[in-house]
Amino acid sequence: MRLFTKARMVCTALVAAGALAACSGAGGTTGSADGGAGTADQPVKLTVWSWDGTVELAVPGFEKANPGIEVEVVNAGSSSDEYQALDNAIQAGSGVPDLVMFEYFAVPYFAIPGKLADLGPLGATELEGDYVPSAWNNVTNDDGIYALPSDYGPAVMFWNEATFAKAGIKEAPATWDEYYEAAKKIRALGPNYYITQDTNDLFFLLSLIWQAGGRPFEVDGTTVHIDFSDEGTQKAVAFWQKMLDEDLVNTKISAWSDDWNRALNDGTLASQNMGGWLTSTLPERAPDAAGDFRVSLMPQWEEGEKVGAENGGSAFGIPEAAANKEAAFKFLEYFTHGEGLQPRVDAGAFVPNTSVLDSTEFRGVKNSYFGDQKTGEVLAEASNIAAVGWQYPPFFEWARSTYADIATPFYTSGEGSLAEVLQTWEQRSVEYGNEQGFTVD
Amino acid sequence: MTSARRRQIGWAFVAPFGILFALVFIVPITYAAYLSLFQDRMVGGRSFVGLDNYGKLFADAQFWDGVSRVVWFTLIQVPIMLVLALALALAMDSMRLRGMRFMRVAIFLPYAVPAIVSTLMWGFMLGVRYGLFGSINGWLGTDLDPFRPSTTLVAIGIMVTWAFTGYNMLIFDSVLKAVPHELYEAAAIDGAGELRVIRAIKLPALRGSLVITIIFSIIGTFQLFNEPQILPSMVANSGITTYYTPNLYAFNLAFTGSQQGYAAALALVMAAFTIAIAYAVQIRGMRNALDQ
Repeated sequence: MRLFTKARMVCTALVAAGALAACSGAGGTTGSADGGAGTADQPVKLTVWSWDGTVELAVPGFEKANPGIEVEVVNAGSSSDEYQALDNAIQAGSGVPDLVMFEYFAVPYFAIPGKLADLGPLGATELEGDYVPSAWNNVTNDDGIYALPSDYGPAVMFWNEATFAKAGIKEAPATWDEYYEAAKKIRALGPNYYITQDTNDLFFLLSLIWQAGGRPFEVDGTTVHIDFSDEGTQKAVAFWQKMLDEDLVNTKISAWSDDWNRALNDGTLASQNMGGWLTSTLPERAPDAAGDFRVSLMPQWEEGEKVGAENGGSAFGIPEAAANKEAAFKFLEYFTHGEGLQPRVDAGAFVPNTSVLDSTEFRGVKNSYFGDQKTGEVLAEASNIAAVGWQYPPFFEWARSTYADIATPFYTSGEGSLAEVLQTWEQRSVEYGNEQGFTVD
Repeated sequence: MTSARRRQIGWAFVAPFGILFALVFIVPITYAAYLSLFQDRMVGGRSFVGLDNYGKLFADAQFWDGVSRVVWFTLIQVPIMLVLALALALAMDSMRLRGMRFMRVAIFLPYAVPAIVSTLMWGFMLGVRYGLFGSINGWLGTDLDPFRPSTTLVAIGIMVTWAFTGYNMLIFDSVLKAVPHELYEAAAIDGAGELRVIRAIKLPALRGSLVITIIFSIIGTFQLFNEPQILPSMVANSGITTYYTPNLYAFNLAFTGSQQGYAAALALVMAAFTIAIAYAVQIRGMRNALDQ
């Protein structure tokens, strides 16, 4: 349940970034069945399901440039609710939208059973070089391209410079060893001081594993291999176990709670390793800490290395059952890649397009909340170094809710270990995956 | 009028009920029963599996975990709530209280608060950082937390008791109102005190309604859903799992695990289970009533 709040956070972040959330009623797909461009007399009507409020901002420009196409952006609920609605629509064979928003991990869930159109033949192939590699990796597999990235969550470290200074630390920890030492010093400041919190935050743990080079999920069509025993995974898990064992992590406060806001506000939670999207919500969460926080790359496993990971982000795909695929792709390209991108970026959307990340406007802006730091520079670099090759199993939506069941007893009692939690999770996932018709081992 | 025609008129009178009953009761249950014979898979789609879902369910430790939780909950919460409701109803009926009308409405009011609202309210009240328990811990220097995995169910029990005591009290109260006053007068003439009146007149009069309230309460607690569904979004590590109660499990199976067939089997088994227990209570309650 907590995990899904994260997706919702990304949503609220984007909505709060200044755009209007489209809350009109659900609309069915109408328009010409030939999938052509339509004419001014008989316009093609596109229905877009999105919880990203900035998509709406690209509509006026698009409709002006394409008189034969009308776009309606509908908020069909965020993440799980929307996936369910899409599944139902596909099953019922009516009301299937033309464009749908997905968190990256949900793309395989729809792509592998053939519910998403391959965007390659529609013209997506040539866009590959325009996104950071890992974002592109999220929306493709060996068979095709199933979505285009629309926002991005490179894992970065937000750290409270004032609290770190109080503990006698002047610079952001560059390695996890330094982070561990810093955690001990911050813990010594007082009973409420912790370097960070964790109450079974799966996406954080996975970003740690991801960065350490662990690739616990391997997906090839309907064959899935799950293994938490590779070297990278073990390194990351052992490190975090040590942090938990030595009481260096607050396991009482969960992210997005009221407690969390307060602890960030008063500086007793000194850092957050999260997706870059936190940049836009942190000022609302912790207004009193204005000027104290800085953004840095995640600490590294080896000194001098520069390896990143992801935590969150989303993409848009076209259902195989959509009526107007060509027109849909036109709009998709427009707001994720073409001219519609800039209005969204201006409204606060954080996108993985190299054209934006490399631009001097994006990199040069000083962020007053972060003490006039040029946060865009850090976020762009974190995006570029996000390691590729990570895969999510197609049944990850189920798996993450089960993870909370398994991990909660460990986090509340301290009995057992993170490694055991992952082992149980692996067993359950293998069972479930096989039941669902995949070949999982 | 021929008997055939008379029979037709009879059917016409029953039709409005019959049609509604079929639409909202028989059709959904039949459909659920049909669904429960199939398995939905992400790869391969829907396939007929016969009674496999039922076999799997009876071997599912998570299902039994949820069932045993609501059974324990029922065994403890229902008696406490009904004794409370009974005591309140008897107090109202004693004619010794002032402001009874206000009391009656005030005690009944929580029933009118939607479960979602009341869960949010109690969530804040029992939360440790803000709200009541936060303050208590602050004053006393204690470390009480009603939403630890070991105590979450107790906290839910308090919420449910708060919501439904007034409802049950009202049922008892209306029964007591129907007791003829001559009985009390006769008892008074015979020299019976208040306690004796309660034992000899009021409690026997309440027996039938007690059976009803027990059955309602069992059905209600077996369907526990709102509270455990909402709490995890307010409280971290409350110990509420995706299979905390059978209803929550069915919901999560159907909507997160896309296992509609399995969820349908679970729902039907729970329905049968609930009906069996409610029926047993009724038989037993009625037999005792006849013994009188």
